[in-house]
Amino acid sequence: MLFHTWVFAVFFLIVYPVYLLVRKNNSLMNFWLMIASYAFYGWWNPLYLVLLFGSSAIDYLMVLFMERSQTRRTRKIWLVISLVSNFGLLGVFKYAGFIVDNVNALLTAVHAPYAVPRPDILLPIGISFHTFQSMSYTIDAYYRKIQTERSFVRFLTFVSFFPQLVAGPIERASNLLPQLQGTPVITRRDLVDGLSLFLVGFFKKVAMADYLSIYVDRIYAHPEQFQSSHLILATFAFAWQIYFDFSGYTDMARGIAYFMGFRLMLNFNNPYVATGLGDFWNRWHISLSTWFKDYVYFPLGGNRGSKWFTYRNMVATMLISGVWHGAAWGYVIWGALHAVGRVVTRELEQTAFYRDRIPKIVKQLGVFVFVGFTWIFFRGQTWGQSWLVLSRMFTTGWVNPQFPTAALALIFAIWIYQFLYTSQGQGKSFVEWAPVRVGLALAMLVYLAVVAQPGSQQFIYFQF
Amino acid sequence: MSQTQEWEASNAVRLTGRQWIGVGLFAVVLFFGAPRLWSRWEKLEFEPDYRVPHSLGSDYWIYRRWTQIAASNCDVMVIGDSAIWGPYVTRDQTLSAHLNRLAGRQRFANLAVEGMHPAALAGLVEFHGAAYAGKKVVLQWNPLWLSDPRLDLRETEFDFNHPQLVPQFSPKIPCLKEDTSHRIGNSLERGVDFCDWTNHLQTAYFEAKSIPLWTIDHPRENPLKPVVMLRLPPSDDRPEEGKAVSWAEKRMPRRDFEWVDLETSIQWRSFRRIVETLERRGCVVFVLLGPFNEPMLKDGSLEAYVKIRGAAESWLKARNTSFWTAPPLPSEMYADASHPLSAGYLHLARQLAPQAFFK
Repeated sequence: MLFHTWVFAVFFLIVYPVYLLVRKNNSLMNFWLMIASYAFYGWWNPLYLVLLFGSSAIDYLMVLFMERSQTRRTRKIWLVISLVSNFGLLGVFKYAGFIVDNVNALLTAVHAPYAVPRPDILLPIGISFHTFQSMSYTIDAYYRKIQTERSFVRFLTFVSFFPQLVAGPIERASNLLPQLQGTPVITRRDLVDGLSLFLVGFFKKVAMADYLSIYVDRIYAHPEQFQSSHLILATFAFAWQIYFDFSGYTDMARGIAYFMGFRLMLNFNNPYVATGLGDFWNRWHISLSTWFKDYVYFPLGGNRGSKWFTYRNMVATMLISGVWHGAAWGYVIWGALHAVGRVVTRELEQTAFYRDRIPKIVKQLGVFVFVGFTWIFFRGQTWGQSWLVLSRMFTTGWVNPQFPTAALALIFAIWIYQFLYTSQGQGKSFVEWAPVRVGLALAMLVYLAVVAQPGSQQFIYFQF
Repeated sequence: MSQTQEWEASNAVRLTGRQWIGVGLFAVVLFFGAPRLWSRWEKLEFEPDYRVPHSLGSDYWIYRRWTQIAASNCDVMVIGDSAIWGPYVTRDQTLSAHLNRLAGRQRFANLAVEGMHPAALAGLVEFHGAAYAGKKVVLQWNPLWLSDPRLDLRETEFDFNHPQLVPQFSPKIPCLKEDTSHRIGNSLERGVDFCDWTNHLQTAYFEAKSIPLWTIDHPRENPLKPVVMLRLPPSDDRPEEGKAVSWAEKRMPRRDFEWVDLETSIQWRSFRRIVETLERRGCVVFVLLGPFNEPMLKDGSLEAYVKIRGAAESWLKARNTSFWTAPPLPSEMYADASHPLSAGYLHLARQLAPQAFFK
């Protein structure tokens, strides 16, 4: 069920009034939200619900067992069982095919007369999101950072909360569970803020991401037929497509949560105005970046050691982040490139020349170009295709890329808006001026109503 | 991060309640006002023997405007599919055009749309045909839609035109492939002036593509330009231009159709719905059964066809609906199984004109 479809509108029109009626009775509210969330997820495929329920149930039980454990050792056993079950799920459903492919490649390389049969397993939508959310609960419970949730229904609701179930933000138990424990207060401000967020998210997805995808998909479907200019423009367009797609989803998710009196964490903060790779990761998919920071980077030692120790941890975290995104070498390379980028920009940022003499705009454009370049490995269907795109980018000629002027104008208008918004001067005052905000809302509304056609194109991040 | 900081960081266009009310009011004005304003700018005037151009076949907004113009200028509305629209003939060679010439004035309006399966035609009449309530209506029954289970929309693997107009949920149309969300959208949007108007903009000015897709195909062109020019396609474009020869000249073989059972047929159920809708709206309905290229049918097939046609006649007789069974035209007057050529339409018009309904 996608937020920008009629079926979701009908779903929400059923769920919301009942939610308003039952929200003052906490048990009923959680039960209703759980039912609604399971219906939302099961709409894709009811079989997904078995996995969702199974992984939630295991984590719920493991934390209960942890609480009853007398020793740290037994607590650790329950934690390990939880982690193994979650990673096991991911391993089987997300990575099994990739692992088998690589094992078979190795077997072929050593001329072994055997090939492991490739498992034909359906990848459940958003599996990495809900398993990571559930895992964060068990890890936090292990370190006694949060209280054990006793209500099974409330825990199921926490893991499956429909606005953010399939593409985040990956919520922490410390943020969402307390909200599910009380009676959500819905103010008038929440309703209008929810509406504002939803409109922006809807615009990003339907008017921008789906628009750019038409060009990107054409070029990336047959990169061998296109020239350097096409491939550069398609990669540039993909950089914006993925931003609009993913941040649009998050905005809509947060907007829906606002309607219901819930606060979901911020997930995007104008990433394409970042001045460094570290800054970029503080602005892009914030809920995942902080997850990796808290549960991978810090446990590895973080920056509490030598420079090389810190860099080792950064590289490991970025590589794992790459693998999180998908079972393909392209994601691993993407993660590795970001790791290298982070190390290099961190080094540069420590030099006075880079810090003080390089204009901010140059740093911002540099980060955008680098991030855009890495998206090639993210977008390519295979490592081979990414390489083909990359090699043709530098070896073929420059012809008219046939990129629509209208799309270019829209992208640059939004980019300039973001530069103004994140500036501290008159630019920010201008875009915050009430007539400008109202004008923008009207423009988005007219564009969505007259120009853009809501379709039912999936969100890119659902596959993760 | 505090709530305000989060808002600043998220870069969303944050409006107050009052501002939202203002935006809402603007949306209401846009929703109701834009199509009306547009219909004043974009000229669509009564022209002799006008028919909705082939390229605007799925532009239901223009269709609705044409029905309003036709209803206020003509006495009799002629509705049906391509057999009435006339893909092999120019607009002054259609059945309604010949009837007009015989009547000596513009009495008959061609309100047919190409490729309109009766299931879709029922939707067209229901959602876009309110303007001719109370008028005289000639409704053509084209047996072609019964000649194959695929054409009766019973099989899942069949693409048909105008899926937005057929029943989306009940009764079930097996070959409707839309997902649930699209079906809900179709159910809610059809007949809504604003939705039809936005569809009209795309169909009339952007080659029936979404505007974003059009800009991809025309990367350097200004998307406002075609709209500002306000030039609708001519009403005489036709898909079969240059193929206006008889079926025999085209060397089409005689056929043995796989006729479907009338009682279980989606076509027949839909056709009955059209008659009922029109009569409920106070229209005086005259059903034209056929014509159909009977010489093209092999013997067994012809027998089955006659039987089906008889059952249709019995139903119409039982509800006192006027009808007339078109006798077979000379075979050379057909371009294929169901589409007459100009001479065929003239022949048919000459036979129809003396009928009481047409006086």
